[in-house]
Amino acid sequence: MISNVVKQDLVKEEQGVIKCTDVTCPVCGMSCDDCEIELTPTSVTTKNACLMGDAKFQELRSHHRLVYPVVNGERVSWEKALDTAADILVNAKRPFFFMGSETANEAMAVGIEMAEYLGGLVDGNATICHGPTVMAVQDAGQVGCTLGECRNRSDLAIYWGCNPADSHPRHMSRHSMYMRGFFTEQGYQARKMVVVDPRRSPTAAQADVHVQLKPGTDYEVLDALMTILNGFEPHPSVEEVTGVSPEQLHQVADMVKNCKFGVIWVGLGIASSTGKHHNASIAMRLTQMANKYSKFVILANRGHCNVAGFNQVLSWTAGFPFAVDYSRGYPRFQPGEYSCVDALKRGEVDALLCMCADLGGHLPKKAVEHLMDIPVISLEIAPGPQAFVSDVILPGVLDGMECEGTFYRMDNVPIYARSFTKPPFDFTESNEDTLKQLLKVVKEKKQKY
Amino acid sequence: MMDIILNTGSTVYQGAIIKGGNKFTEGYTREAGYCNINPEDFDALGKPWFVRVTNEYGDSVVVRAKKTNTQQKGEVFIPRGIWANVVVTPDTESTGSPKYKNLPVKIEKCEGPVMGPEELMRHYYVTGNKSADSYNSLKYLDKTTSQIGSH
Repeated sequence: MISNVVKQDLVKEEQGVIKCTDVTCPVCGMSCDDCEIELTPTSVTTKNACLMGDAKFQELRSHHRLVYPVVNGERVSWEKALDTAADILVNAKRPFFFMGSETANEAMAVGIEMAEYLGGLVDGNATICHGPTVMAVQDAGQVGCTLGECRNRSDLAIYWGCNPADSHPRHMSRHSMYMRGFFTEQGYQARKMVVVDPRRSPTAAQADVHVQLKPGTDYEVLDALMTILNGFEPHPSVEEVTGVSPEQLHQVADMVKNCKFGVIWVGLGIASSTGKHHNASIAMRLTQMANKYSKFVILANRGHCNVAGFNQVLSWTAGFPFAVDYSRGYPRFQPGEYSCVDALKRGEVDALLCMCADLGGHLPKKAVEHLMDIPVISLEIAPGPQAFVSDVILPGVLDGMECEGTFYRMDNVPIYARSFTKPPFDFTESNEDTLKQLLKVVKEKKQKY
Repeated sequence: MMDIILNTGSTVYQGAIIKGGNKFTEGYTREAGYCNINPEDFDALGKPWFVRVTNEYGDSVVVRAKKTNTQQKGEVFIPRGIWANVVVTPDTESTGSPKYKNLPVKIEKCEGPVMGPEELMRHYYVTGNKSADSYNSLKYLDKTTSQIGSH
């Protein structure tokens, strides 16, 4: 019902040209909802989308789009592909369900239902992204806020182990640095920017203070900052260990104490580095401590479209944010055991369903080697490493363009993504529809056994 | 051969390639198949055009060498992608997240060229460790697969 109202107001079609405003971008965790699209039979023109967003919208008219099902490299009928995929899953002893991030919550919910029905493992992009940060939220607790509050209130942005100029190109201009907000009318002139990164990244080049620490010493630097905030001096060895001088640490600590509303944006520099969730935990504890002096929050720069949504959906269905095993009929959570990389590395998975993610391209070699040994079913839109390792390819639908759905933004705010066109095939309407059809076939086959 | 710390991460150009579904193109090799090296390390390596990066498992990959001031001495950067992931180790410290950053590797000057994406996938995942005959089925799509217009 809501989509009909929205469609009347925002989607206009004249002489074969579709124009749509307020389109939600399905690329990074920011879910920018101010994009404008003009779609002709041969071209796509975008406004307000970044380089990555524009590239994604161009997929609507790309020459390489996967539009028919493939089994073992051969074109087959949709029914045959579903039948083969269901056979693989029903016959597997330890199937793995990977819910990628470039799809909506509604599809993920069906995938999780299938994992529960078949007693498999289920995981999502969070596991190779901000999984350790999510573990730190469980460990330390997060002082958070919405992106809107950052835009309207923050006067100090600390980018810790992240490089939004590359990973979230509109982050600084929309939410964290350069825009004017309700209480931040002076825009960037009234804001301070600290970047903590071993690299002189494009973000660091814009910073007031660049803390160029040695790689893998985030925990030590955070600990030294907490020591200073507690009124003590860090150990003299801090400069030798971290590469950061005590003077610079005091400078950052003074900025933390004297700001009105500070935000720590944490990236994978914390979550993927040595220490993992311990780094993120101490960053959250530092944030809690900074609230003694000023209002301070911490937010994770979630990299992929709806990666936060997977954590939300699995949390409300299973009670855990990622890495869940249903083999005993009830959910068990154990990162390092039921998580995707670990389960593949140990070779215990004997079939894998991957929805809207590129495991072939983004997992370490040892994990991809196992993908080549087992049957893999993929919902995929383009040729690439994931299609390369797949036995069954079910053409994917572009959420937020060809079907509507819900994305969770990086601050865990649900954003409605509307559709303005249809998929280039008629056997499925959405990834949710594909998984529902597959689940139906799976249940029919399972009941025969 | 030099001991060095590898960090991987995204760049906006690599992001535009992968989000646009162009992973089996030369553009992907151009935007993800290189290694940023500090000038001092670059000179110590013998001003290479190409470098081989090797991890503790003995897995190695050849990428283009780039001399940049953005890196600290003793640390290199390869954009996120299939080249970096050949050497990223799957040890997750019981978190599920592999070592995409702060990974000790060895680096040395070598001859090129850098493998293209499809060649790399075949080399490491089909012919690299097992013979192609051990696969009963055609598991992968050919790079010329372009379904639009063929239906």
